[in-house]
Order: sequence, then C-alpha cells, then structure tokens
Amino acid sequence: MSKPRVPARRVAIALPTGVLLPGALRILGRSGVARLGAIELGRKLLVERPAVRVVLVRPADVPAYVDHGAADLGIVGKDVLWESPGAHYELADLRFGGCRLVLAVPATSKVAGRETWPPLFRVATKYPRTTAAWFEAHGQSVEVVALHGSVELAPQVGLVDGIVDLTASGRTLRENNLRVAAVLGTSTARLIANQASLKTRTDAVQSMVARLRAATDQPAARVRAAS
Amino acid sequence: MRGPSGTPSQPVIPALGGVPGFRDLLPAEAEVLREAQESLLAEMRRWGYRHVITPMVESIDVLELGLGADQRRRLFKFADARGEVVALVGERTVPVARVVAGKLRAASLPLRLCYAGPVLSTDEGRFQQRRETYQVGAELVGAPGLVADAEVIALAARCLEATGLRRYQVDVGHAEFFQGIMDAVKLPDEVKAGVRSALAARDFVALEELLERTTLRSAEHELLLRFPALRGGAEILQAAGGLVRNRRSEQALSALAGVLDLLRAHGLGDVVSLDLGAIRDFDYYTGIIFEGYGPDLGRPVAQGGRYDGLLARFGRPAPATGFVVQLDLVWEMLNRSARPPALPRIDAAIAWSAPGLETALRLGSTLRLFGMRAVVDTEPRGHAEARAWWRGVGAANLVHCRTAATASWTAPGRRTRRLPPEQVAARLAGTLA
Repeated sequence: MSKPRVPARRVAIALPTGVLLPGALRILGRSGVARLGAIELGRKLLVERPAVRVVLVRPADVPAYVDHGAADLGIVGKDVLWESPGAHYELADLRFGGCRLVLAVPATSKVAGRETWPPLFRVATKYPRTTAAWFEAHGQSVEVVALHGSVELAPQVGLVDGIVDLTASGRTLRENNLRVAAVLGTSTARLIANQASLKTRTDAVQSMVARLRAATDQPAARVRAAS
Repeated sequence: MRGPSGTPSQPVIPALGGVPGFRDLLPAEAEVLREAQESLLAEMRRWGYRHVITPMVESIDVLELGLGADQRRRLFKFADARGEVVALVGERTVPVARVVAGKLRAASLPLRLCYAGPVLSTDEGRFQQRRETYQVGAELVGAPGLVADAEVIALAARCLEATGLRRYQVDVGHAEFFQGIMDAVKLPDEVKAGVRSALAARDFVALEELLERTTLRSAEHELLLRFPALRGGAEILQAAGGLVRNRRSEQALSALAGVLDLLRAHGLGDVVSLDLGAIRDFDYYTGIIFEGYGPDLGRPVAQGGRYDGLLARFGRPAPATGFVVQLDLVWEMLNRSARPPALPRIDAAIAWSAPGLETALRLGSTLRLFGMRAVVDTEPRGHAEARAWWRGVGAANLVHCRTAATASWTAPGRRTRRLPPEQVAARLAGTLA
C-alpha cells in the first residue's frame, strides 16, 4: 500500500454544546475513543487525549469547523445540516437527540390542512433556509421572518401566522398555546467528516468512524420524539 | 464641489474595502502568489505545454456547452452593447476547448496547453468569502489512453512540488467505476436518482436509508454503502474487483491498475493512492479522475480528469484530460507550512545628499544589473533622516551617497563604513555570490 506523504496528526472531533452534548459524550465514552465529563470539557473547550482532540463549539458552528478541516469529524444535529449544507460527508446517523422540525400555529388558529393555509404564510423561524425550501416545495407563498430565539413568542404578538421550530417533547409549544400543523422533518445527531480528512488520514479517521458507529444505539432503540 | 446651500461639501469617499467577495492582494500575498503561479507555469512548460490566454469574458452560448446548471447559475452574466448575453469565466477548461475547436482547428493533435488567471463566481465561497479566485491549469487534448492520463497526473504532482509544497498526496479514481455500479445495481429508477443526489450531497445517511428500503440486494449495493472508504493502494483494486460484476466497472479497475504502474514509473509511487469512491461531477468526467491534497487543508488543492465528451460539443470530437491548481490554496498552504516563504527583501536603500544624486542613480542601476532590488530616494537627506527613511523602506542595506566619490554603507549588523561607490557595489554584489 502506498504511504501518503501527508503526515498524521491526532484526529480532531468537534462536539456541539447544548442538548446533544451528553449523548455525544456517551458515544465517545462507549466507543472507547475518549472518556470525558461535560464539566471538564465545558471548562476547557479543547481537550487533548492520546488518540483524539476534542473541541467544543456551538451547534451551528460544527459544520464550519469540519468543512475547513479544523476538525476531521463532527457530531451535529441534522437540523443544523439542513440550514448549512456544506462540503462535508454525512457518514452516520448516531440515533440520539431525536426531535422534529414542525410548523406550529396558535391553538386558536384556523390553519389546519393545506387548503386552509393563507395566501401568504408568515412564518417566524431560526431555520429560514429549510422553511423557505419546504414551503416552496409545497407551492405555498411564504414570508420568512428570521429570528434568533424565543420564536414561540412571535405568533402570540401577531408578528406571524405560525412558526417553524424544533421540538422534542412538544412541551414548549403547548406552554405557548401552539399546536403542530405539519412536520417538516425528523432530526437526529449525525456524524460528519471533512472530505480531505477521509483522504489524507484515511486509516485513523475511518477506524474512529467505525468505533463511533459501533457504539451507536441500534435502530430499535432509536429515540423517537413524542409530540 | 459646492452643496445646494453654497457651503463646500465633503467629497464622498467610496468604501475603500472594495466589493464584498473581491479583495486586494497586498505585497506579502501578491508576490508569493505570483511566484507560485510562475513556478507552476514553468513546470508546465518543461513538459511541453504551451501557454494560452483566453479572455475574461465569454459568450454564454459557449460556456453553456460545458457547464452544469449549477455552474451556469454562478456565472456573472450581463448583456454587452450588442445585446449578446456574455459571462465572466468561472473556469477555463471550456474556453480552452473553444480555442482548440476554433482558432487551433488546424493544429494537429495532441495539443498541450496551459493557462493562468482569475475566475469569478457570483456565490461567495463556502470556505472564504471569495468570489474571485486564481487558477492555473493544463489540458492535454487529443490523446486517449492511460499514458496521457498518467502524464497529466504526474504533471499535477510535479506542479505542486514546484510551488514548494513538500508534503502532498494525489488520489486517483475513475468516473466509470461509479457509472458501472449504477448500471448494474438493481434498483428502481426513482431510487437510482435518489442515490445519485445523495452521493452528490455526500449524504451517506440518506443513501443508507434509500438502500435499506429496497429488498433487492447486489454486490454493487454493498459497494455504494462503503463508498467513502474505498481508498488505498493497489490492494483496493483486488478487493473491489471481487465485488463488481459489470464490464464498465471492471474496465475502470484495470485502467486504474495501469495508471498506477505508469505513475510508479514517473517516480510518484509514494504520493499516489487510489480512491474508488471519489465523488465528482459524473456528467462531465468520462474516465480517470484525480485530486491533489496538501497537509491540513480541508479541501483539494488540485483536481482534474478525463473529459472525452466536451470537444465534440464544439464540433471537433477529441479525447481530453487536464487539471487545475487552486492558486489561493497553494498560497494558504505555503503560508501555513513550518517555513513560510520569506518575502523577498529589498536589498539596498540608496539615499543621497545633493552632490551625490548622480552617483546614487548610477549605483542603483549597477545593483539592479546584478539582480538586486534597489530603491533610490526621491529627495536629498542628511545622514540621520536617511537612516529613518531606510527603516521605513525595510531594505537590508543602506547606502548614503554623500558626494560623487564617497558613500557610507550600513550593512545588516555592521558598523557604517565610508567607501568609494564602486567598492560598495562590488562588495554588495559579492554578498550575492
């Protein structure tokens, strides 16, 4: 076998802060790649272990770290990938962190099936790209209001007709008197890889991918979101 | 200029940063970039490739013959004064094909051509916010066969070396390997379309879901799932050969074996790997494809392959293969390496007092004759001001011409010495040797 002249450095993996972090750490631990506590990582943001370098970044930043090659691998929710498709390889469904991206409207809204939608649907969301594409695919005119947080508030004050947001249990929606009108997609944690890392550090990266895959829950145990 | 009320208005200064996505290259980058470009073109000339310059603007009709829908969308387009829709080039393989089929119609094949220049895209890049990038490329038109494939791959590898990159690797694949699998795999047409788009998006989760849902099973099925892992040395050909059962893929594998042997003969056995899972624009490439990677850069710095279908669209059917090097990325890698390229320094700052001007001008000419970089001051200065000016110029030596016959010379780390100007020139030239 030919030996590529590009040198080996430690494989780097980017993990997302927030709800996916415990699951990501569990998979890293179970696979034997690295045992890390959330607290240790939260304090340092960058941890070096013999076989791996772990960096902790905001969920939406994981694709950037991987696409630029600062991390060889990344664990990130599919919802983030919908919004920022990039040059990375999406290698595996890690089958945790299940949630749904839904269109929710006020409980009192008349909006139900497709035929009840207003001529121009005003929607607030943190997922403008995915939202615009989905309405486009359904032949519906949409005005997307891109917000950065507390999206649930927007319909209650009359800013929009509905929201597109991520929900795992549906509790936040209920608390804000919103109900699900449609499901845009189901998201779980994904393992992504830099395109060049797969070529220049094939053995180290592929073996880590295999270990992470093996540590993934079987499909039957997949976390299903209850609405 | 006066405003409506008669008071003088401030002149409006436009934004000095330029248009978003377009940038100025300052000397530290521009000089290294230009030198890398020259090294690439010089290596291509050593292999007998002749330089062509194609225009920045092409007719949209021409570009459409060679570009996919996505590439077409990214072109800067406008209508010229005659109402023709034209575009600023986003790559130069298609313009070179136009030249080969047009102005060079009478030239006998094979033709070896190379080119360099900026290319534009309306999209800001995925990695940097850049809409203007720099490419150097080579095309070998009219030569079918593995020897030509290997020549172009070897040239690409030697080009990367010529820029000063010491560590790199080249991954070689074959477009037909994938096409053969898609022919042979037992799947309904709509699923096949899904497979193609999942692969184009490098989404192996979607691919797995598509394939899981079908009950049909074939060896090719398994290969598709393992696509990103299908790389390695010659042994991967054996492994894949045991799994494919279709002529197209088998022929691709034997072509790869042949090219690997030729590349070893080129002296490149160490840097070449095989990548059967290379995902590229399969509507365009028809044979051997390849990518060059440097250390710790998340994307290929060079890419190319065989595109036997393009020239026919211009009315001169001919096989062709070629590649392009992304000059911006070469610069980035050189810059990140352990020893980044040193900015060529100015060798001498030549200051003068009024009686020494002519001597200063003569000294400047002499030093430049020896290939040194010399800056002559534009105004007379005393010795103290001359030293301040010297530091501003950032030159290695200061020569202060005081009279027609005397100059004081300050070399790096040395005391200032008074010498006749001829002797300063001789000693400075001596430091070059």
